[in-house]
Amino acid sequence: MIRLHDITKAYGPLKAVDRLSLSVEAGEVYALLGPNGAGKTTALRCLATLLTPDGGSAAICGVDVTHDPLGARRRLAFLAASMGLYERLTAREMIGYFGMLQGLDARVLEARLDELIELFGIGDFAGRLCGRLSTGQRQRVSLARALVHDPPVLILDEPTLGLDVLSGQTIYDFIRRERERGKAILFSTHQMDEVDLLADRVGVLGKGRLVAEGSPAELVASRGAPTLARAFLDLVTESQA
Amino acid sequence: MSPWWIVCRKELRETLRDRRTLLMMIVVPVLLYPVLLIVSEQLLLFGMRQLEADPAAVAVMGTAPPELLDLIRESESIRLVEFAGEPEAAIRSNSVSAVAIVGASGGPEDTRDVTLLFDATSDRSQRGHRALSNVIGNWGDALLAQRLESEGLPTSFATPVAMADSSIARPEEVGGYTLGRLLPLLLVVMTLLGTFYPAIDLAAGEKERGTLETLLTAPVPPRAIVAGKFVTVAIIGVVVAGLNLGSMILIFQTGMLQFAGAVGLEVSIPIASIGIIFLTLVPLAVLFGAIFLGLAVRSTSFKEAQNALTPVSMLVVIPAMLPIFPGIEFGPLLAITPVAGVSFFFRDLMTGDAGFFTGALVLGSTAAYAAAALVFAVRAFGDERILFGGAEQPVPQDAPSWIERIRLRGRGAGVPRPDQALAFVVFVALLYFYGGFQLQIRLGMGGLLAAEWTLLLLPAVLFVWLGGFDVRETLSLRRPNHRALAGAVLLIAGATPAAWLIGWLQSHVIPIPWEFLEGLEELVTAESLPKLAWLLLVLAVTPAICEETVFRGVLLGGTRSMEPWRVVLLNGIIFGVFHLSFETVIQFLPTASLGIVIAWAVWRTGSIWVGMIMHLLNNATIVVLASSPGLRESFSNPEAPPPLWLLPFAAIALFTGFRLMNALPTRSET
Repeated sequence: MIRLHDITKAYGPLKAVDRLSLSVEAGEVYALLGPNGAGKTTALRCLATLLTPDGGSAAICGVDVTHDPLGARRRLAFLAASMGLYERLTAREMIGYFGMLQGLDARVLEARLDELIELFGIGDFAGRLCGRLSTGQRQRVSLARALVHDPPVLILDEPTLGLDVLSGQTIYDFIRRERERGKAILFSTHQMDEVDLLADRVGVLGKGRLVAEGSPAELVASRGAPTLARAFLDLVTESQA
Repeated sequence: MSPWWIVCRKELRETLRDRRTLLMMIVVPVLLYPVLLIVSEQLLLFGMRQLEADPAAVAVMGTAPPELLDLIRESESIRLVEFAGEPEAAIRSNSVSAVAIVGASGGPEDTRDVTLLFDATSDRSQRGHRALSNVIGNWGDALLAQRLESEGLPTSFATPVAMADSSIARPEEVGGYTLGRLLPLLLVVMTLLGTFYPAIDLAAGEKERGTLETLLTAPVPPRAIVAGKFVTVAIIGVVVAGLNLGSMILIFQTGMLQFAGAVGLEVSIPIASIGIIFLTLVPLAVLFGAIFLGLAVRSTSFKEAQNALTPVSMLVVIPAMLPIFPGIEFGPLLAITPVAGVSFFFRDLMTGDAGFFTGALVLGSTAAYAAAALVFAVRAFGDERILFGGAEQPVPQDAPSWIERIRLRGRGAGVPRPDQALAFVVFVALLYFYGGFQLQIRLGMGGLLAAEWTLLLLPAVLFVWLGGFDVRETLSLRRPNHRALAGAVLLIAGATPAAWLIGWLQSHVIPIPWEFLEGLEELVTAESLPKLAWLLLVLAVTPAICEETVFRGVLLGGTRSMEPWRVVLLNGIIFGVFHLSFETVIQFLPTASLGIVIAWAVWRTGSIWVGMIMHLLNNATIVVLASSPGLRESFSNPEAPPPLWLLPFAAIALFTGFRLMNALPTRSET
């Protein structure tokens, strides 16, 4: 469902992503780990068609993101770390706006809106302007916005950033539910407990390169570390050297 | 539903929920601005009535005859009072508003001297002065009539010519003329303000809030997003402009302004013109919307965009102000000048003088500029470096600080950054502006010489040396080959007459300040060989070295990392701005065009010597022509076009010079 092959992206002399290859299958959750500046967001942005890779190729459900970016966008949901909500739209309007941009028919969209509002528990504040929502409420609206066209691929950039435990739990539930529905999910994070809880596979980035890949248990075992966090630290220290 | 329309509807909905935009859109034009106009008018009228209701206190000193005192007492607008002390002190303390000091009478046929003392900075004193002056004038007329009568002469004897003014303009035309001076500027400014905040909010604001990233993951092409946002901004601009126009019409057509009526003006806008004014506001709003949107998206935050767009707005307002100034003829060239054309067209529409041809030119050119600005905006929205460039750009770790540069001076650490080079040029321009002019005023030509060497060359050398920059790279100190030199001579041989042609063409639009030109001619004309040598040193050799070091040295060296056309254009424009004077802007275009040609030559050859030779040849040619009696007559009339025979030679020289230089290997190939 998600394929990255030898992707390279440079900002001037600095290679933010350097020949990165990875794949995520349907019903799989893949966690991208790495210190700040390792290239996680750049890699996700290349995949989400926001940035054009300098080299290599990327595809969503077999659609090349460079050659057919609009086709790729129809098949993916992208959740940025900033959430990206319009302050002066209500929660319902916000989700509906992206539904229209995805080309959903008005009747289908109305039904989908009701479904998402129910699913994410947005009903109480669906008519409130997004600028007046709490962080947790905003994150729920963001998720509903991203899922409005029910795409097969989810790309989430630090989805629990700045959330409290309860709101974080909503995200965990959401990711598990979508995995069960057969979605391919790629997310970046700094939280090791999230990886332990959710990820089927983990990729560790260092200076734009994939320095390790495997299931959380495989990574821990390969480094002989007591925890995933320790294994991650070892890998990062090694890659920075 | 088309994606652009979905975006537009959403943007309009959000904008209508934004108090700041609503304030600018509705409250200012519909309420605040007419209320302010009417309140200020009422205050003005109230003040005038107050002044008129209370007769001005005046006094008379000296040998005033009883008949004059009687006339003053009879006047309703003044009253005679006594005061103690000095008259100046009495006027300053408001005891009296004006004092007439009447001289002694020498005889029945002598002239009586009368001095009127008043305070020109006080409305009350000015009014007293006017009224007293009228009464004394009447007294003078009565005396003259008595004298004529005693001599048996008719009153007409002292009035050989009776002149009366009679303007053929109808009151409504005079009103239109008055409105046409001010309202176009107001309409342009309000249209500009109408698009300013929405453009920033929809572009930079969206980037700052992080929503643009989300929006761009929707399956919508960037051009549809720009189109939606752009149509929103243009609609708001047109609505704001329309509301302003509506407000004005309401105020003027309904006669709400009593002041105009009081002074005999019929201020109204011809009904037929209102529709055309509104139609012209549409492409203007489109133009502003596209420019602001394209610029705002290049900023990363609302505040940054505001800072970037404010100077642009000020630049836009300058051409809109042109109709205020007298003596500027509205012709085809002005009609196609951005913003200025619209402003002049509004003026003509208000006076009822608008022509179809100029109107079509204004509408057509404004629409063309708007389309170009729209392309500029679309390109920005499709460029990931602009949209996300700032987010993850690594900070170069090896860029030395200024203190480190000073420590490392002489070791040649690269060239200045564009912002450093521009900041330096602004610094020397200010230095030259404040110090250089003083030197020239005090020391004349010697001051000019001193200003060039000490306020231009010296700071440039210090900047490069103390800044620790690579001197050879920054100042383009490469020896040119023969081909480059030949190209330089040919280019300037073509560019100098071309600049002359540009100057002549612009003289049809911008009036030539003759006093300024005469002064300039006197400055560059030598009557003797030693004077000619001195002039060549001051006006040709010195600028060629000093100005080239600043503009084609530091500025061009620092901006080389930019796109070539930007480097050359920016260099020429800044060079032109540097040569602006207090008196006139006529030097800007010819100088900027020369600057562009020289900058291109230096950029192409990588040699500042080429620029110095071109600058030297241009200036020396002007001095020699002005100093040669035979040639002066043929070349010194600024109203005359360049000789026709010269133009083909100039075109060939430009073309050949360009070809010669273009065939040279670039710096990276050498």
